[in-house]
Amino acid sequence: MEFGFTTAAYVVAAVLFILSLGGLSGQESAKRAVWYGIVGMGLAVFATLIGPGSGLWLLSVVLIAAGGTIGYYVAQKVQMTEMPQLVAAMHSLVGLAAVFVGYNAHFELGNVMAMDQAAREGLEGFAALLAHKSSVEVNILKVELALGVWIGAVTFTGSVIAYGKLAGKVSSAATKLPGGHALNAGAAIISLLCLIWYFSSGGFLPLLILTLMALFIGYHLIMGIGGADMPVVVSMLNSYSGWAAAAIGFSLGNDLLIVVGALVGSSGAILSYIMCKAMNRSFISVILGGFGGTAGPAMEVEGEQVAIDAEGVAQALDEADSIIIIPGYGMAVAQAQQSVSELTKRLRAQGKEVRFAIHPVAGRLPGHMNVLLAEAKVPYDIVMEMDEINDDFPETDVAIVIGSNDIVNPAAQEDPNSPIAGMPVLECWKAKQVFVSKRGQGTGYSGIENPLFFKENTRMFYGDAKQSLDTLLTLIK
Amino acid sequence: MKIGTPKEVFDGENRVAMTPDSAKQLQKLGYECAIESGAGVKAGFADADYEAAGVEIVKTAAALWKEADVIAKVRQPNETELKRLNKNKTLISFFNPGGNEEGLELAKSKGANVIAMEMVPRISRAQKMDALSSMANIAGYRAVIEAGNNFGRFFTGQITAAGKVPPAKVLVVGAGVAGLAAIGTSTSLGAITLAFDVRPEVAEQVESMGAEFVYLDFEEDTADGSSTGGYASVQSDEFREAQLAKFRELAPDVDIVITTALIPNREAPELWTKDMVDAMKPGSVIVDLAAEKGGNCKLTVPDEKIVTDNGVTIIGYTDFPSRMAAQASTLYATNIRHMMTDLTPEKDGQIVHDMEDDVIRGATVTHQGEITFPPPPPKVQAIAAQPKKEAPKELTPEEKRAAETAAFKAQTKQQVTLLAVGAALLLGVGLVAPASFMQHFIVFVLAVFVGFQVIWGVSHSLHTPLMAVTNAISSIIILGALMQIGSGSFLVILLAALSVFMAGINIFGGFLVTRRMLAMFQKS
Repeated sequence: MEFGFTTAAYVVAAVLFILSLGGLSGQESAKRAVWYGIVGMGLAVFATLIGPGSGLWLLSVVLIAAGGTIGYYVAQKVQMTEMPQLVAAMHSLVGLAAVFVGYNAHFELGNVMAMDQAAREGLEGFAALLAHKSSVEVNILKVELALGVWIGAVTFTGSVIAYGKLAGKVSSAATKLPGGHALNAGAAIISLLCLIWYFSSGGFLPLLILTLMALFIGYHLIMGIGGADMPVVVSMLNSYSGWAAAAIGFSLGNDLLIVVGALVGSSGAILSYIMCKAMNRSFISVILGGFGGTAGPAMEVEGEQVAIDAEGVAQALDEADSIIIIPGYGMAVAQAQQSVSELTKRLRAQGKEVRFAIHPVAGRLPGHMNVLLAEAKVPYDIVMEMDEINDDFPETDVAIVIGSNDIVNPAAQEDPNSPIAGMPVLECWKAKQVFVSKRGQGTGYSGIENPLFFKENTRMFYGDAKQSLDTLLTLIK
Repeated sequence: MKIGTPKEVFDGENRVAMTPDSAKQLQKLGYECAIESGAGVKAGFADADYEAAGVEIVKTAAALWKEADVIAKVRQPNETELKRLNKNKTLISFFNPGGNEEGLELAKSKGANVIAMEMVPRISRAQKMDALSSMANIAGYRAVIEAGNNFGRFFTGQITAAGKVPPAKVLVVGAGVAGLAAIGTSTSLGAITLAFDVRPEVAEQVESMGAEFVYLDFEEDTADGSSTGGYASVQSDEFREAQLAKFRELAPDVDIVITTALIPNREAPELWTKDMVDAMKPGSVIVDLAAEKGGNCKLTVPDEKIVTDNGVTIIGYTDFPSRMAAQASTLYATNIRHMMTDLTPEKDGQIVHDMEDDVIRGATVTHQGEITFPPPPPKVQAIAAQPKKEAPKELTPEEKRAAETAAFKAQTKQQVTLLAVGAALLLGVGLVAPASFMQHFIVFVLAVFVGFQVIWGVSHSLHTPLMAVTNAISSIIILGALMQIGSGSFLVILLAALSVFMAGINIFGGFLVTRRMLAMFQKS
């Protein structure tokens, strides 16, 4: 089959991918955008199968079908609340695939280099491409390949750890091995040395050590990042997987891989940047792992937490005209979004103004709450961003905090020694009354005490968010 | 110096400009006080009360005018009185300088200093001597009382054994001092009170007094009352029509109408037309506080109470404060006393007529043989202007264009710098790297650029779908594996096969999850 056709298909696929990302600017156009992505991917795979990747095509098709079946099954089965874990897990697959493809390129390179001129002429596919490279090009190829493997390996372990943290299988606290940043730096230096070694020798050993170092960096980097920063981590890993693909694309000389890898890489980077800005956190300090030490002791919290029962909440809601609901990760954990939606529906039917305030980093993924509320059929035009709604709290009768903690922590504004000082938060304590639905008296993901719970206009509505809301629903007609 | 107060000569005027209490205070400022015999009788202050307060009783008006250096009185002085002035005398009184040119000329020719109490500017510092407000307050209160006196029913609604009584409905037009006083009185008597004013910013004050503000369905940039010193200004014809239409709608419903609409130095606007009067129920009452300036209702007869053919009582009295002479005199005398305090900074009984002082300058209409009316605008704004809510929109087109140009230039500068640095880097790479690499590298740079451009536009709530989609797309790595699977050794095939398998999971899983998420977004 002509390679010209493949190239044409690649161009079309690249355009489709760009449209697919750009289409996500609106809820309605996003639905169409996904189809662009799917068609683009199908076209790319098809063009490769009949073109440069036609060897053993049957095996390829079978493997894709098998993988696809598993992917389909998992995606169907997964709960919306488990989305963050799933995305992280999938990133690890991409990372690992990048490592393998990089290794393959290395082996091929070795094979081709060993051949004599005559044998080279007879090669096909990827090997043929390698055969025609000059020595400078081969050197560049080595760098690209090592880079692809390195980034892929970091993505792999990083994603696995991120998955573990999100799924609750690894402690979400920021932990570091003794040595901290020095270990990361050491591993990075060893990687660099290996790169030079590999560059001069071309052997497999330096590549292997490089990979191990990268695996360690990925592990240690993500272990050192606290749970509250997970949204940034996930989008950052997303970005890494894109760069890995781009690097591999360079070594394979495949433009589509380069284009798509660069698209994914830059989009993930921007997303991370946007989120860091929303949290008032330095982008660099987040990616390098660490909340940043704070000077001085945190402010003492005075007062006590006052509990309230469902009757009290129901009565206050009955009297209120305007209500703002602030959902957080706790709502996702308790699967309470359906109950929240039902509550919203009933309150709206009574002519009350009900709105949702979404903090940019609520939940464990950017836009996590939007997705959950959308799943529960909460209309998206009453779901507001922080900037849109923060000024409205003083005129609000009741603010209901459902399973969020750090994003409504007044310490961010009041206590300069707080680890989250300066992070923009939802100023729910300015509402006339605040109810906090919470499992117990524990602290939030970042492990910080929340003065909101001790404020005079705050009442604690203890219990599992879903059970609490269901009790509440029986009292509100 | 001696302050003297003559008996008011105007027919039916009961007030007096000095009370025994105010006299005591004036004496503390170092003044001697004198009063014409019988001046306070109608307001309930006997000569003996004054004497007890240390005030000299003077038998005749002529003697008082001669003796006193400062004359304080209530009503605008007549010709006889003005002729008694000379250049050593100061007169403090209502003067109506806008409509009293002869009086001004006469006072000027006599060389006397005249302070007109109605000219006291409406600034915070001068409120204690603002006689218009203190009199208006009384007028507003009295207007409701007069209305109640002529209204055959209760103000409050009651349910009694003898039947149900509906509450009275009162409409107050003009929410100035008099209007607000009327609103307060009316609501405390239990009536349902509606109020209207051309200045929408007073709605809050009206509501704070317990009345309901009547809004017009009318869009116009009504002048902020603060620009006219807190008084209402003339309205456009369209606005007037909308206003009258609203009143016409209300007329059959209301039992009592109290109009207080006055525009400074103009005839009172007609707000309650004959057809509105005709539409009112028999027994209804209209109190026209603007009667002196022609009335807000053209049927009003000044100083009289009339009953129309359909049984509506229209009260046009102009002397409401005088009808409550004791209260009015106390307040007015206090206003005068405060004015004297300002005029006597040393408290030594000597007037210092400081023409640099905003309040004194504003109130002085003749000074040392000159007419000083009208005064220049006060240096201090009467009422703080309302904060401009849409300040950015106030920019003139030129300013806007300038700002845009500046922003555009800054943006251009930033972009050019970035491009220059980027191009330099690219060229640097191009110098050392082989052509085949550059080919791919340019594609890479362009793709990164496109990615940056595209992602900024993605809406916040779609960040999770974006991540899922990019995750799915990043499994494009499958292409690499596909290309390798067909060639080389067993190890290569194995690794490539594994890669294809994993990427396959990712492609299907990623896209499916994205679709699931997006399918949920829906509008209400």
